[in-house]
Amino acid sequence: MSSRTYQLSAENVNVWFGERHVLKDVNLAFPSNQVTALIGPSGCGKSTFIRTLNRMHELIPSAGFGGKVLLDGEDIYGDGVDPVKVRLKVGMVFQKPNPFPTMTIQENVLSGLKLSGRKNPNNEELVETSLRRASIWNEVKDRLNDPALSLSGGQQQRLCIARSLAMGPDVLLMDEPCSALDPGSTRRVEETILELAPQMTIVIVTHNMQQAQRVADQTAFFLSEDGNPGHVVEFGATEQVFEQPVDPRTNDYVNGHFG
Amino acid sequence: MEKVIDLTPVARPKASQPWARKSPKFIASAAFASIIPAAITLAFIATAGLDFMAALIAIFLPLQVIAAALVGVSVYGRRGILEGLLVVATIFFSSFVFVLLGSVIWSVVSNGAAAISPSFIFQNNYYIQPKTSLEYGGVGHAILGSLLIVGASTLVTVPLGLATAVYLTETQGKSKGIIRTLLQAMAGLPSVVSGLFIYAMFIASGITTYAGWTGSLALIPLMLPTVARVTEESLRLVPAELRNGALALGAPAWRAFVQVTLPAAKSGIVTAVLLGVARVIGETAPLVLTTFAADRTNLNLFSGQMGSLPTYLFNYIAFGFDESIKRSWGAALVILIIVAILFISARVASGTRTKARK
Repeated sequence: MSSRTYQLSAENVNVWFGERHVLKDVNLAFPSNQVTALIGPSGCGKSTFIRTLNRMHELIPSAGFGGKVLLDGEDIYGDGVDPVKVRLKVGMVFQKPNPFPTMTIQENVLSGLKLSGRKNPNNEELVETSLRRASIWNEVKDRLNDPALSLSGGQQQRLCIARSLAMGPDVLLMDEPCSALDPGSTRRVEETILELAPQMTIVIVTHNMQQAQRVADQTAFFLSEDGNPGHVVEFGATEQVFEQPVDPRTNDYVNGHFG
Repeated sequence: MEKVIDLTPVARPKASQPWARKSPKFIASAAFASIIPAAITLAFIATAGLDFMAALIAIFLPLQVIAAALVGVSVYGRRGILEGLLVVATIFFSSFVFVLLGSVIWSVVSNGAAAISPSFIFQNNYYIQPKTSLEYGGVGHAILGSLLIVGASTLVTVPLGLATAVYLTETQGKSKGIIRTLLQAMAGLPSVVSGLFIYAMFIASGITTYAGWTGSLALIPLMLPTVARVTEESLRLVPAELRNGALALGAPAWRAFVQVTLPAAKSGIVTAVLLGVARVIGETAPLVLTTFAADRTNLNLFSGQMGSLPTYLFNYIAFGFDESIKRSWGAALVILIIVAILFISARVASGTRTKARK
């Protein structure tokens, strides 16, 4: 293998909700500047897994966790690590666009700074670069002071991406970012992902096989069978996972035979 | 010739809600079903000299129920019986509540209007006897007293109520169940008990004489459950996605709450405060026991008795003279007006800045 730096990696990640074991021994490495897609049927634990990567997982009251998540070599679940600091480095975009309804478009982009109590000398420039990187600048540049909810769903989602980008994260987690969007908006979000990929590590959960093939360098297939905890069945380069899967279950899933 | 597609918008026609259309048969039978019972009832009132309310309940209502059931059956078949009965019940009970509320407001307005004048609102009660004519003296001191006493307890209760609601919704605290039960129990606390408690604690024990702040203190346990529960409900309505969105941006929990959850729940919290104020502004018993009453304007919450609208109303109605009862009605109207002003201004102030999609 090459000398890729593994900026983010999960080692033996196990997750429980109450007494129920939902993820078992997940080992995944996310190289810098690459896109990793997490695929698998509903309920296989991929959304749960992605939430462990920026410590959003622990916000669920019954959550339990075992294992390590290394960010730049440091375990984010280590003693004394502040989850808030982790989330500053690891941004997240959710399934449903969630712009802050009481804020304008511009305020939404800057909300991360305000929310983390940071000051930025040049807000206007930051708003423009963030919106440009999320490929939404041209659509909103004339109405930055309109309420965020005046945007369409696809625009709202790209605004949420811009909001995350404004924080300058090293890693961007995306939990089914296009599942609520129409094909046109989906295409634009995918273009955004591809533009961002050279600059950061991206992890994306998706139910859309074509999407995974279009955007991801590598793909992990999660599966949870017969009530057993979810685990990674296959992990590798996207082409290989889709075209020459090692495991027959991967083959069945990516070809639409089940799931 | 090329086909021309006309895309100019057309004004909305009047009949553009086909689902709201009622069949002529339905309208006819429904009208029939209300006219016949009404006619029979009126005939009874005219001939037998029955009391209006008695006729309404004893004759009109049963007839109306039967007629509605018959219409229901003729239009919808068997399931129409229940449908007809439900329609009558809904209309009857909602108009009952409406009439009840309307008559309360009407009696206060019609009786109180006579007492209202600039002097009644701005003057205090010094040198005024129960039989003094209404041209002299008024509730100025009581308005200020009420506002001060209720204002002070609002200042204390709102942070407490907000904190309670935050504990109940935003944290994973272990005592939530107990706190909720305590709030419920507190909501059932008779106001006089609250007043008595403060009286025993501070006044009977000689710590202080009657004073405004003891009144504010007695109102807090009455106001707190309302503020806390309504705030809790409105915080609960804020979607979890917003909270998570803020946390995922690296916000500490308190900032996510202050900058995202709180603004999203703003109008609900304003309602909570308002309901809390409305709950206590008419409280009489705790104030009689703690602030007592005063005829002079007293703006110092920490010393001396203090007048307030409910105690003023209570005292003057107890005198029993015509003039004094008029003063009581006037005070009642002033309370209603203050609540109305609070309500409207809070609604305006909390008008949300977010507009729906244009």
